[in-house]
Amino acid sequence: MTPCHHLDPSTVMAYAAGTLSLELGVVVATHLSVCAHCRRQVRDAERIGGLLVEQQQAATIDAPRRESLRAAMLERLDDAVPALPPVPQNDAESADPDRLPKPLHPYFGPSLSALKWRWMAPGMYCIRARRSGGGSLFMLKIAAGKSMPLHSHGRSELTQILQGAYSDALGHFAPGDVADLDSDVLHQPVTVPGVPCICVAALDAPLRFPGWLARKLQPLVGL
Amino acid sequence: MTADAATGSTSPFEATRIVSTPTPQARDPRDWTSEMLSVARARDRECFMRIYDYFMPRLCLYLRGLGAAEMIAEELAQEALLRLWQRADMYDPSRSRLSTWLFRIARNLHIDRVRREPNWIQVLDEPERMDMDDESGVATSAESYAEHVDLKSRIDKLPAIQARLIRMSYFEAKSHQEIADELGMPLGTVKSSLRRAFLKLQGDVRGTP
Ligand SMILES: [Zn+2]
Repeated sequence: MTPCHHLDPSTVMAYAAGTLSLELGVVVATHLSVCAHCRRQVRDAERIGGLLVEQQQAATIDAPRRESLRAAMLERLDDAVPALPPVPQNDAESADPDRLPKPLHPYFGPSLSALKWRWMAPGMYCIRARRSGGGSLFMLKIAAGKSMPLHSHGRSELTQILQGAYSDALGHFAPGDVADLDSDVLHQPVTVPGVPCICVAALDAPLRFPGWLARKLQPLVGL
Repeated sequence: MTADAATGSTSPFEATRIVSTPTPQARDPRDWTSEMLSVARARDRECFMRIYDYFMPRLCLYLRGLGAAEMIAEELAQEALLRLWQRADMYDPSRSRLSTWLFRIARNLHIDRVRREPNWIQVLDEPERMDMDDESGVATSAESYAEHVDLKSRIDKLPAIQARLIRMSYFEAKSHQEIADELGMPLGTVKSSLRRAFLKLQGDVRGTP
């Protein structure tokens, strides 16, 4: 899988800096698990972050406190080294089509076929993340050949395709591709015929559906 | 935020640093490669504490910017530096500048901690190990001292708003939307300014014009 649609550099920077909302961060991590291009971007953003940390002024810590922290560090230099986690076996995992990307496991479990979809509208199903913070993190399943309601986004939305595909004014989105959208985009995705489109999406703020669908959908999904 | 006085825009060491192999003598405080190699090879505590003294208060400031309370920031900075000591044998200067590695460890510790707060469970074991980097085997001379100096001057030369957004993006626990609200700019403008700034700086960190 070599994605064609990537994360926006501003999203990469926020992720690398640790300032991206946690829901958006889960979708970013999902994309990074299949995209070497964006992993390199994150790495570059981390270099910039390292440089900024290195160049900034030091925090003021009063002298006695600084000394006691220093002494505590010297004492800890003999601490046992904690074991590193085993290197994940990405190849074996990605070979199994039923296995969800690892960053999604805490929220949706490890298996695609075990997902408990909830009806949302004809041909549209949704699962909200088991736990999340202030924003929304959810998976969507949209029947093949279906047109989604026209909508824009109050703030930022990230959507990563896991299976199937859709097209909108921005292009064709296939597995591995991520759509990195903000409020400037009004779009109406249409899924391709053949297979349902399954994606994971995160929002910083509520979706804005125009018209009757807003009343119908928003209470259902709680977006 | 300004770089402190130790940062010169030029360095007399620049020419030699690129060609020479690191030696354990005291060097420009901006290049920690030799200290780190002494830590890795000889478990040199003095070298480690020099790194500690420099980075500890700087990591604290970064972590406070991300929203960590003062005590927590100190705790996480201590932990990050301890990891550096414990994992020193993994340090490979051809792969990563020390500050990049330390930044990544501190950031990950912070994210893990936030995720462990009541509503969150841990999501990722983000790699802090270099052997999992994509660029393994590719020598990143891009992180040499000289190019880092260029990057610093490149940040200084960014349009003021881009430089400000870069610093806000890295040092404040604010989303792009919150930054947009604070500066009275449309979200799209915040993102596109950051995008332009990143693409300019990226040329530098990758060592290409
Ligand atoms: Zn990508």
